[in-house]
Amino acid sequence: MTFVPPSIDWAALAPIVIVLGAAVVGVLIEAFVKDAVRRMVQVILAVVALGAALVTVAWRWTVVQAQGPAELVGGAIVEDTPALMAQGVVLICAFLGMLVIADRVGGEDGFTPVAAGAPGSTYEAQARRLGLVQTEVYPLVLFSVGGMLVFPAASDLLTLFIALEVLSLPLYLLAGLARRRRLLSQEASLKYFLLGAFSSAFFLMGLALLYGYSGSVRFADLAAAVPAMVGMDVVLLAGVVLVLVGLLFKVGAVPFHSWVPDVYQGSPTSITGFMAACTKIAAFAALVRFLYAVVPGLTWDLSPLLWTIAILTMIVGTVLAIVQTDIKRMLAYSSVAHAGFVLLGVIALTSSGISSVMFYLLVYGVATVGAFGLVTLVRERDAEGNVTGEATRVEQWAGLGRRHPVLAVCFTLFLLSFAGIPLTAGFVGKFTVFAAAVEGGAWPLVVIAVLASAAAAFFYVRMIVLMFFTDPDQDAGSTVVRTEGTTAIAVAVCAVATVVLGVVPTPILSLTSEATKFML
Amino acid sequence: MTNPYVPLLVMGLLAFVMGLAGLLSSAVIGPKRYNKIKVDAYECGIQPSPHAASGRFPVKYYIVAMTFIIFDIEVVFLYPWAVAFTELATFGLIAMIAFLLLITVPFVYEWRRGGLDWD
Amino acid sequence: MTLVHYLVLSGILFSIGAVTVLVRRNALVAFMGVELMLNAANLMLVTFARMHGDLHGQVIAFFVMVVAAAEVVIGLAIIVSIHRTRGSASLDDANLLKN
Repeated sequence: MTFVPPSIDWAALAPIVIVLGAAVVGVLIEAFVKDAVRRMVQVILAVVALGAALVTVAWRWTVVQAQGPAELVGGAIVEDTPALMAQGVVLICAFLGMLVIADRVGGEDGFTPVAAGAPGSTYEAQARRLGLVQTEVYPLVLFSVGGMLVFPAASDLLTLFIALEVLSLPLYLLAGLARRRRLLSQEASLKYFLLGAFSSAFFLMGLALLYGYSGSVRFADLAAAVPAMVGMDVVLLAGVVLVLVGLLFKVGAVPFHSWVPDVYQGSPTSITGFMAACTKIAAFAALVRFLYAVVPGLTWDLSPLLWTIAILTMIVGTVLAIVQTDIKRMLAYSSVAHAGFVLLGVIALTSSGISSVMFYLLVYGVATVGAFGLVTLVRERDAEGNVTGEATRVEQWAGLGRRHPVLAVCFTLFLLSFAGIPLTAGFVGKFTVFAAAVEGGAWPLVVIAVLASAAAAFFYVRMIVLMFFTDPDQDAGSTVVRTEGTTAIAVAVCAVATVVLGVVPTPILSLTSEATKFML
Repeated sequence: MTNPYVPLLVMGLLAFVMGLAGLLSSAVIGPKRYNKIKVDAYECGIQPSPHAASGRFPVKYYIVAMTFIIFDIEVVFLYPWAVAFTELATFGLIAMIAFLLLITVPFVYEWRRGGLDWD
Repeated sequence: MTLVHYLVLSGILFSIGAVTVLVRRNALVAFMGVELMLNAANLMLVTFARMHGDLHGQVIAFFVMVVAAAEVVIGLAIIVSIHRTRGSASLDDANLLKN
C-alpha cells in the first residue's frame, strides 16, 4: 500500500487558518512584545483576524455557490453551505463578543491581573497595583474560535472530537479569569472543566463504539453502514446516543444543562456572552450535521429520545428562569430554554429545519452578546462610593430605565427578542423554527414550545417593568460605568440587527434558506 | 516433551521465590537502625525539598511537569512518523517540521515569560 | 481468550471511571475517573482496530492520548489554583454558585 499525500486546498481552509494562525502569533506576541504595548497589539490582531476570517467566509460562500461543495484534507473537513453559514454566524458573534471582551469598561478590563495568583494574596494585590493585564485572553479566545470553525465543518468523528476539545479547553481557562468575585470564577472554571471532560469522555466512547460498528469514523462510511448491518443495532444505538450526549452537553440541553447556570454566572461576563453565543452556534451546527449525515436511518429509534430532551429543555429552562434573582443566572436558564426551541428545528430533519436553525442561532447569538455586553456596564457601589463588581442582582436594576434610558431600551430590545415579541428578530426566529417543526410533523412539540414562550415572556416583561416602572432602591446603589466605546459599538450593532432582522427578515431568510442548497 | 510453557512457569516461580526470600531474609537477619534520613521522603539522595512532607509542593514542579508533557506528546507523533518515514516522504517531512515548529511556540512563550527560571 | 473480553474490560473500566466522577468528592480523584474513562475508550478503539484489521483505531488512540494530556495540563492548572486558594480540592466546598 503506497501513501498518497492528501491535497490541501489552502484557499478553502483560509478562515480556519487565519484564526488559528493569529492565535499562534498571539502566543509569540505574549513572548516577545513589551508589556506596555502588548494589550493593544493583541486586541488589534484578534479583531483583524476575526474580521478577515469573516470576509474570507463570505468569499468562500460565493465560490461554493458557483462550484459546489468540496471535501478538504482527505475528507476530514467539508466545505459546503451549511458549514460556511455556521462559520459565518460564529464569526459575527465572535467579532462582536471580542469587542466586548477588549473593552476596559470603567477603566479596567474584566480579567484578573494574574490568573496564577491566589485570590486575596499579596501577590495578586501587587499585580493589581502595578496594573498588570492578563493578555493571554486574546489568543485563548482565538483558539476557541478556531475550534468552533472546524466543529460545524468536521466530517469525521475524530476531527469532530479534536475540534470539540480545541474549542472547550481555552473556555475552561477563560471561565476562571474574572477580575471580581475570583472564588466564584475559579469555581465556575472547575465545574465547567470537570463536567466538560466527563461529557467528552462519553463522546469518545460513542466514537469508539461507532468505529467498532462500522470500521470507520467517516460520516459517509457510518451512514453507509447503518442499513447494511442489522445484527449490531445495540452497539450502533449506544454509540450514537453517547456521541449525542457529548454534543447536547455543549448546547446545554436538559438533562446535560447543570453546568450552564453556574458557569455563565461565574465566568467573566464578556466571556459568558461570547461563550453562550458561539459555543451554542457551533455545537448546534455540528449536531445538525451529525444527525443529517449519519443517522437518517435511525430517526425512528432516536425521535423519542430527542423529543423528550426537547420538551424537558424547554420546560426546565423556562420554569427555572422564572425563579432566578440573578441576571446572569436568569439569562443562563433562558439560554437553556432557547436550546430547546432550536432543538425543534433540529428534530424536524428537513431542509427548512436546517435553515430555520441557522436563522434562530444568528438571532439568539446577536441578542445574547448584546445582553451580556450591557450586563458588564451596570456596576455596584460600595459604601465609599467606589465602583466595584457587576450589579447582577435583579433588584439592583430597578429604575435603570429612568437614569440610563438608552441602556435600558437596548436591554429591553434584547429581552423582547428573547421572548419572541413581533417586530423583533426573536419572533421571526421562533416562527420559522416552529413552522419547520410543524412541517416535520412535530406539532405536539410546537404546542409545548408556544406555551413555554408565553411563560417565558412573563419574566422578560417583569424585568422590563422593573427597569422602567419601579422606583430605584437607594441601598442597592447601582451605577453605569463608561465604556471605551467598543462595547457600545457591539451593543449598537446587536440592537440594530435585532430590529432589522425582526422588521425586514426576508434577505437573511433567503440567505439561510440557501444554506441547505449544497450539503455534503 | 512436556508443555513448552513449563520452563516459563518454573522461571516465574523461581523469580517469585527469590524476591520473597530477599524480603524475608532482610526482615529476619538485617540490622534495624532507624534515623531521620531513613524515614525521610526519598529524593534521589539529595536533601528533601522543604514542604515536601506537608503535602504542599512548589509550583515549579508543576511547570516542569507541564513542559515534560509538551515533549511527551511530541514523541507520540514522532514515533509513528519515524516508523513510516520512507513512505511518507516529503509530505510527512514538511508536516512534521510544521508540527515541531508549532510545538516550539508554547516552549518559547514559557521560556520568555520566565517559566524555566528555577529561582 | 477472545477479543470480546477486551471490550468487556473496557466497558467495566469506563463504568468505574464514570462512577468515580459521580461519587468521589475530591476534584483530583474525580479527574482521575475521567482519565480512566478516556483510557477505557482507547482500549476499545485498539481492540476494534484489531478486530477490523484496520489501523485507524490505533491512530485515533494516539490522538486521544494527546488530547488527554492537554486536558491533564489544563485540569491540573485549574485544580492547583483552587487548591492554593482554599487549601482543599474538595468538590463539596465548591458550592458558592448556588441560589
